[in-house]
Order: sequence, then C-alpha cells, then structure tokens
Amino acid sequence: MDGIVVLSSGDLSNRLPVSPARDGIDAVTTGINLLAEELQSMYEDLEVRVAERTALLEAAKAELRRVIDTDELTGLASRSLLQEKVAEAVAGAGAGRQPALILLDLDSFRLINDSLGHAAGDAVLRETALRLSAAAGPGHVIARLSGDEFAVLVADQDTEAVLQTAARLGESLKDRIVAGGVAVALTAGTGVRLGEPGLRSEELIRDADIAMHEAKKRGRDTLLVFSAAMHEAAKQRVHQVAELRTALAMDQLELEYQPIMDLRTGAIAGAEALIRWRHPALGLLGPDTFLDAADDAGLTVEIGHWVLRNAIAQTGRWKSLPGLPSDFSTHINLSPADLHHVDLAPYVEGLLAEHGVDPCHISIEITETAIMRGGPEVAATMQSLNDLGVRIEIDDFGTGYSSISYLRTLPAAQAKIDKSLLDGLTTDRQQETFVAAILQLIHSAGLGAVAEGIEDREQADRLRQLNCEFGQGYFFSRPLPVADMTDLLAHRNGAVA
Amino acid sequence: MPQEDRETPGGRDISSLDFDSSGILRLQWARGVAIDAPSAQLAMDRVNELCGGRPTPLLIDMATTESVSRAARAVFAKRCDASAIALLGSSAVDRVLANFFLGVNSAPVPTRFFTNGDEAVRWLTSQGHDGA
Repeated sequence: MDGIVVLSSGDLSNRLPVSPARDGIDAVTTGINLLAEELQSMYEDLEVRVAERTALLEAAKAELRRVIDTDELTGLASRSLLQEKVAEAVAGAGAGRQPALILLDLDSFRLINDSLGHAAGDAVLRETALRLSAAAGPGHVIARLSGDEFAVLVADQDTEAVLQTAARLGESLKDRIVAGGVAVALTAGTGVRLGEPGLRSEELIRDADIAMHEAKKRGRDTLLVFSAAMHEAAKQRVHQVAELRTALAMDQLELEYQPIMDLRTGAIAGAEALIRWRHPALGLLGPDTFLDAADDAGLTVEIGHWVLRNAIAQTGRWKSLPGLPSDFSTHINLSPADLHHVDLAPYVEGLLAEHGVDPCHISIEITETAIMRGGPEVAATMQSLNDLGVRIEIDDFGTGYSSISYLRTLPAAQAKIDKSLLDGLTTDRQQETFVAAILQLIHSAGLGAVAEGIEDREQADRLRQLNCEFGQGYFFSRPLPVADMTDLLAHRNGAVA
Repeated sequence: MPQEDRETPGGRDISSLDFDSSGILRLQWARGVAIDAPSAQLAMDRVNELCGGRPTPLLIDMATTESVSRAARAVFAKRCDASAIALLGSSAVDRVLANFFLGVNSAPVPTRFFTNGDEAVRWLTSQGHDGA
C-alpha cells in the first residue's frame, strides 16, 4: 500500500514488490509496476520534448531580441536598444560622470533617395554607419533611429571630449561617398545633450532631439549643444501647435488681401491672399509667427486647403461687384507640402465650380525653391493646375537657384521678384541694371513680372520704366481686411496710390 | 545442444536455447530473470543466429520471469527470424507480463501466451512452419 502512495505522489520510479507466490495479487502488482514504468517513460519523453521545445523557444526569443536590437540595414543598434542602453548608462552613472547623447540627421538625404534611388540611399546609409562607428571609436553605442537619423551614446567622457567626438562624427561624413555612380558629399545637423546628474534617460534623448532639430533649422552642417532656452522654445512650439489646432477648429484664421497693381495703367489687377491668425491673447499674427509650428504639427496641408477654400469663395463673392476689373485675379500661396498632394488640382477644380469662379481669376504662387526641390510630383501638380486654366506664378524669384533653361519649361504665367531685389533700386545704378536684367530674363522666358515690396513712388516709377507689369507693396496698400478690400474694389476701381 | 553462455554480459539470463525434435526453437529464460534491453537483444541475436534467416517457430519459456523492461519489450517488437512465437508461462504474473507486451506493443509475427506446453507446441505447429 505504501508503494502505491509513493507512486500516486508522483514518484513513478518506485516499484511494488512481487512475491515469489506470483499469485493473483502479484499479477495485479506486476500490472501496476508495468503501468508505472509506462507512465514514467512517457513523462521522461515529455520532459525531453519540453526541453527541446524550450530550447527552440529560447533560440527564437534570442533571434527576435537580435532583430529588435539591430538596425537591419546598417547593423547598428536599433532605437529600442539605444533607449535601453541610455537608461542603463544613466542608471549606472549615479553621481559620477554622466553619459552624453549625440544625434545626427543627414542634410538633404531625401534628395539622394529621390534622385539616385533607394538602393543608392541605402548604400549611403550603410557607409554613414561605418564612418560614424570609426569616428566614434570603441566603447560607444551607435544607433540608427530612423531614415537618416543616427545616435551616439557617449559614456564616461568630459564635456570637451564629447564635443570633440561630436565634431569628429560630422567631419567623418564629409569625404565623398560614391552611390548610384555619383559621388555625394554629406553633412548632418548634430544635436548634443551633455549629461547632468538627475537627468532622466528620456530627457537626455528628448533634449538631444530638440538640439538636433534646432541645428537642422539653422542650416546645413550645424552642431548645437542643448540649452535650457531651446527647451523653452520647444515647449512654446508644442503649446503653439495645440493653440493652432484650436484656431483651425474655432475659425480664428482669416485672410487679408494686398492689392496688386497694374503698373502700366495704375488699376487694380488683383490681390494676394495673406493668412492671419486672430489669436485670442496676442492679436493678429502674421504667417511667419506660426507656419513653422503648423509644419511641425503636420497642419500645413490643412491650412493650405483652408486658404484655398476661403480665397476662392471670396473671389466668387467679389465677381458680382460692378467695378471689378475683368482681368482681376486672386493670388494664393501654396507650400511645398500642398504641392505634393496629388489631389490638389481636383480640389481646386471643385472649389472653382462650387463658387462659380473662372480659373483665370485665380493665380497660385509657388516659391522658386519649392519648384526646384519639388521633383516630379510638384511638376505634375503644377501642370494639372495649369491645365485647369489656373495661372501659376513663381514666387520669390531671384532668391533661389533656378536654372534659366528650366524656367522656360515651367507652366508658369508670371514670376514675382523678391522685395530684397528692390533695395537700392533707385539709388544704386548697378542694382537697377541687375533688376533690369532679371526682368528681361523673366520676359524672355515668356512670363509677366510682378514686383513685391514697393515702398515708394520712385520704385514704382522705375519698375514701370523697366517694363515690370505689376507691383504690390505698402506704397500702394498694406494688406487689407476683406471688408476694406471689398470696399476698395467696389468704389475705387483705379489707382490706390 | 543447449547453449550456455557464461561470458557474454546478459548471457547468464538465458538458461537454454535449442531446437526440439519437432523443429521448434525453444528459449528458456533463467529463473527469476529481469529482462532488460541488452539481454533481450542478446536473445534475439542468438535466435537469429540459429535460424540463419529461415522463419522458425519460437517457444519462449518465460515462467518465473521477474520483469520485462519497457526497452526490452521494444526489442521484442522488432522482427526477427521467428515465424510465430508462443510465450509459455505458468502464473498469473506471467500472463500479465505477456499480455502487457501483446497489448501495448504490436508483435511483428503471430504471438500468443500459453500456460500449457503441449498447447503451445500445437499452436506453433498449426502456424504452418516449414519444419527444421
């Protein structure tokens, strides 16, 4: 009986004694022993199988861990591994020397991908990884965080050494890399966050990111060390983004219109719609104070559509004014982000139909830089808008680096020369010659010219003498609220100045 | 002639192994033997050796066998030169051991348990062996 209890308790190696009598009870005992042996064997088999499966699972888990921890393209650490290592380094530093984090984002990497293809882009990223690893030296965690963003976690170095490492990383990219048969020179925006006792790992990463983004804003090949002021600015921007969302929802945006004059006749030829934000606390804000935040928040396209909708609707309301010049056009600025949307032309077409506006009464202004950097999508959108009958105007002409031959191929009707070119127009003979040459260039490409930023009569007169057809600026009128612009169109029908 | 093996490990477990006058190969395990895999394999090798590839009826006297291990049963489940096997026992314990083998493992050739030697021989003879 004891033997059965031992078996029942799970010790299947136990056997019950069989007496020499080999009678019926011994037969039952033998049966139990056989059964116990079978069960023991099955258990052992199962244990072997469990051990095998566990080993397989462990191997799969290790492989998964490796995949999660590694950036597949470059073999560098992944974002998640970097986060882990930063946390470890911060925790391990205690009151001693704190780890620092360097973030690098390649400048204009998208251009490489777009112009040379993704295979070339990938080759550049792999070479970048090799160079950063070599430049950082051993003992640092180097990660690729996303697309063209890299990170180096520097442990146990003083401030001077961290900054030298950061500079070395940037320098390492400048030797040309051959990709897609073309040698490309790289630069990066670099943000450095030096460690401080008590700084949490996520703050270290966040601050390095803020510094890197600030560096990117300041232009190519810039290195910035995080400062508290940057954090304040970033917080401010986050706050502004939230406010801007509210502004869109609460209808706090509005348009002002600046008249565009026909310099030859002195009559109003059109008006440029300019966005304003009627901020509940700060009053009327110009676009330069909030469009960056809109970009950060991904609201650019939404705001672009808002401007199109409102400006075209307003043009529809103006068309019944008795004194409206027949060739009047409303000029609307679009951002590069708007132009990348393939549905832009159908959207404009729908608005024109909805408000009964003839396409020739709408002019879309696109900056020279947006056109040059936009690639085939932007070119296609411009063509579609042009096909609708909407006029395209090249904004800020003369500030970018347009190729002259490219200018002729664009489906544009006008070019607007930047106001910076008007400085010294009436006082500097050389500047006048320069502006004359630019106007001639615009005309020879078959385009009309608009000058912006005209501040006095002399400038207006000189531009007219140089055959510039249109002009706008404070000399004629500041941007006007809708009511004032409507009033001007209804009653003046002529020269503003 | 009875085979006695005192040298080979496991050889002592086999009391005798020989053909009888009717051509049946008779294997007699030692008294109180605990058959494990090596002794089972040895017995099987010896049987095959004597049969020389010819299907032969086999009578195994397993009376007084103490136990048959699981691994040993697995060896017996492999095909050998035996054309049919009669397991001869005497006690209820022998019956349990034999039936456990027959129930759990699938015997490769006709196999039955007997408590009577004559019946066992008759059955083996009726299995159509071609004599020795």
